[in-house]
Amino acid sequence: MLEKNYLWRIYWRLAGVIMVCVVVALAVVSYFSHHVFDQELVPETEQKAATVGASVRALVLKATSYGIDFSQLYGVEQTFAEVFEENPEFAYMAITNTDGNVLYTRGTEPIGARTHFRNAVVLQMAHETSEISKAARVGQQYIVSVPINDNGKPLGILHVGIDAAFVDHVLLEVLLDVVVVLVVSLFFTLELLNFMAGARLASGLGEFARQVDRMRAGDFTATARVRANDEIGRLLRRIDSAIDHLNVRYEFLAGELQDKLRTATGARREALKPAQQAFETLSKRFRFGAAPEAADLDEMNLNRIRAPLFAFILAEELTRSYLPSYVNQLLVTIPGISPQVVIGLPIMLFMLIVALGQPYLGSWSERVGRRRAMLVGAIMATVGFAGTALAYNLYDLILWRSLCALGYAMVFVAAQGYVLDRTGQQNRAQGFALFIGAIMVATVCGPSIGGILADNIGYRASFGVSALMALVSILAINRLPTVEIRTAAMKPTRGPRMREIMALLVNRRFMTLTGLAAMPAKIILTGVCFYLVPLYIVSIGNTSAMAGRMLMVYAVMMVLIVPLSASLSDATMRRDRYVSVGLIISGLSGLLLLLSESFLVLFGVVFLLGLGQALSIAAQSALVAEHCQDEIRIYGNDAVYGVYRLLERLGNALGPLIASLLVIVWGYQGAFVAISALVLFCGIAFTVATHGSDWQPAAVAQ
Amino acid sequence: MGTIRVRFIIVALVVSFFAVGMAAFLNYFKYKSTISSIVRSRVLVIGRNIENSVQASLSVGMQFMEIGTMNALLARERAADRLIQGIDVFDHTGQVIYSTERARVGEKVPNVWTDAAARSKTTEWGTEGADEYVAGISLKNNFDLTVGYLALRYSSEEVERAAKAAGREILLASIFSFLGIALVAPLALIVVIRRFERDLRALEAAASRLEDRNDASLPAGSAFDTAIGNLRSSLRDANSSLDDLRARLDTAG
Repeated sequence: MLEKNYLWRIYWRLAGVIMVCVVVALAVVSYFSHHVFDQELVPETEQKAATVGASVRALVLKATSYGIDFSQLYGVEQTFAEVFEENPEFAYMAITNTDGNVLYTRGTEPIGARTHFRNAVVLQMAHETSEISKAARVGQQYIVSVPINDNGKPLGILHVGIDAAFVDHVLLEVLLDVVVVLVVSLFFTLELLNFMAGARLASGLGEFARQVDRMRAGDFTATARVRANDEIGRLLRRIDSAIDHLNVRYEFLAGELQDKLRTATGARREALKPAQQAFETLSKRFRFGAAPEAADLDEMNLNRIRAPLFAFILAEELTRSYLPSYVNQLLVTIPGISPQVVIGLPIMLFMLIVALGQPYLGSWSERVGRRRAMLVGAIMATVGFAGTALAYNLYDLILWRSLCALGYAMVFVAAQGYVLDRTGQQNRAQGFALFIGAIMVATVCGPSIGGILADNIGYRASFGVSALMALVSILAINRLPTVEIRTAAMKPTRGPRMREIMALLVNRRFMTLTGLAAMPAKIILTGVCFYLVPLYIVSIGNTSAMAGRMLMVYAVMMVLIVPLSASLSDATMRRDRYVSVGLIISGLSGLLLLLSESFLVLFGVVFLLGLGQALSIAAQSALVAEHCQDEIRIYGNDAVYGVYRLLERLGNALGPLIASLLVIVWGYQGAFVAISALVLFCGIAFTVATHGSDWQPAAVAQ
Repeated sequence: MGTIRVRFIIVALVVSFFAVGMAAFLNYFKYKSTISSIVRSRVLVIGRNIENSVQASLSVGMQFMEIGTMNALLARERAADRLIQGIDVFDHTGQVIYSTERARVGEKVPNVWTDAAARSKTTEWGTEGADEYVAGISLKNNFDLTVGYLALRYSSEEVERAAKAAGREILLASIFSFLGIALVAPLALIVVIRRFERDLRALEAAASRLEDRNDASLPAGSAFDTAIGNLRSSLRDANSSLDDLRARLDTAG
């Protein structure tokens, strides 16, 4: 049989080759960019040094005009220090007298500086009366020299040293973004391989494998499928053709036997008995004729959901790293509400609309059709993104973001329904892996690229890019099959009823899982990742791109750890332990800021948070099925999971609200610490609550 | 060339285009923002000189609206750097109080200036217009109260010229890098997917002879050998059963 990971091994090899090519190309672009930066930035910085030098010279001349001796000036080094503070590219400043002896100096003196100062050409400068400056490379610095001349009387020369490595520092910042581009390219490669070749390959090879299984089981029924005109399509056509030949033979022989039996009597009928027995045995062992349509698992169409979903989710994820900063820019005073809460308001509202809308939009998308619901949602979101890009102030921004939220909820629910409609018991997990995979890749790529875009082209244009991505998703949704395959036999989904919500809210087991695990996990996710990280990073003088990189660390952790933790927690059947450990690690993350405010510590916070969430996220929902069997029996699976998801998503909405209130009281760092402490407390409480024997793994769940 | 191979090559080209394009975009915008900030900070050096003079006047009790030497100071500082096109000092309503151009005194500055000054969290602010950029400083008195705003107008030409030149070079480097990838990547991909293509060819060859009764001539050693074997044995079984039926029908006459 086909090896399960055959295609993935090929993908990774291809991705490896593509990545090597991309790295080489990026290195070439970076090398030439360095050359350009060196060529253009150094002269520009030399001019700036000359202007700064002229300003310092004016101060010196002002002092000497009051009669202070040029060699006895006070506070010159202090002035140099202030210049360094405002101009980090300057590494050294000195004033020499007309003999080239250093009178005042500050910073790192380059090797050979003293010799340079005594150079005759340089010393000659002191006698210049015009506004002139000269630059020369001395050691690891470019030295810009400005004459100090008091109405024709030469006093000395001011030297400003520019660190030659400052171009490297500038490019180092670009390099971090280039690394982000590389990571995004890797995920983008895998996504594109899947979209442009893999979806068809996977479904083709899957179809081939199923065909082999069917034939082994004696099923030679013919499918009337249109095959693609590629290698796999041709292969499947040949198998179809072989099956058709068998069916023709079978029908011919069956017809001949029937004819003979109809006309035969007596001894002749007896002679036909062995043939009749052989036909009966054949009919028992093998199945011929046309394949029933229900057997068609529609895998090709299932795969087609991935591209529109990825494009749509990417549009929203692009905004994660800079949305709070953009809101901050459009802030208007709302009486009685703190600005911190107002900044979190659009995120809160977004999450709330998604949380409350999803249970009811599911049945709506069933009625109108998944494709149509996705189209409506994507159009709404596109308008929402465009409106956000053009927002006048906070009030209309909230309106546009609400539209985005509604669109997001519609597309999310309809896409989920699309997968459910096209999967059966045997391939539902595979369908959802595809669904979650598209979302996770968008989560890795979106915030980092969004941050880079926001830094370079501005917030509004970046929202324009999101609108464009949402528009691309509309085109991709439009390519989805127009025929819905929902059958009458499928049970309609419904939102949870109020009495079910109330009953589950007071259920101890259910609330232990939801209130102590699922909700705190979401509160810390949205509170820290969507609200605190973007705002805190910008508040300490960093960029949205850095916020994006941080959020990418979180997403990469999720992509790498979730599959591992999911399989391990399933294998050990101690999902509660994974949830406990995950919550405690998440809870410890923000406490790191008690140690230091440094940027590396913030990286550690996001890393630990990603690790903690990745450990617990997969096990959490599985625990509901494991430990709430009584509740599922009474209220049904849909209701229990509906309430669970609703409360979990309300946690999403609460996150920014709680974080913003904590910022008002304790500032950013205090908010990180407090929200983490809350989750740590919940983690410990969950561990204690699930310690008893009634929380041992249930046999049924196995 | 197989359609699957073509698709893989297209993926490589699309990803490379994205990566190289993003790198070029990042380098260009980083260059532009760096050069902008260098030029702005150069202009602000002159602004700080004016700010110091204004604060010195205010600290000796002079009224902000009545600093007699201000226009001369502005004219002198403007001459210090050829980049500067003009210097204005305006109040919180946006009305110009002092300027290097007399005609501007009493005029209102564009709203974007006052908005940018009000929005800035430090004393420095700036805006970028089509033809000229503005670097500004909020002027404060000894009690840290903003008494007015200093705006230094400078030509965008310097930044635009430098950005254009750098942009051209970065673009050229990116195009050549992309062309390099476009040549190398397909060759590298062909090497890597050879095994996969061989497997597919073996599968196709086997599929073309699915109904042959003889196994000997079939290629072996591909990842699909077991699947092909199963497929053929299933077909053989079915055909044997149909042959048996045929034989019995023939025997019956």
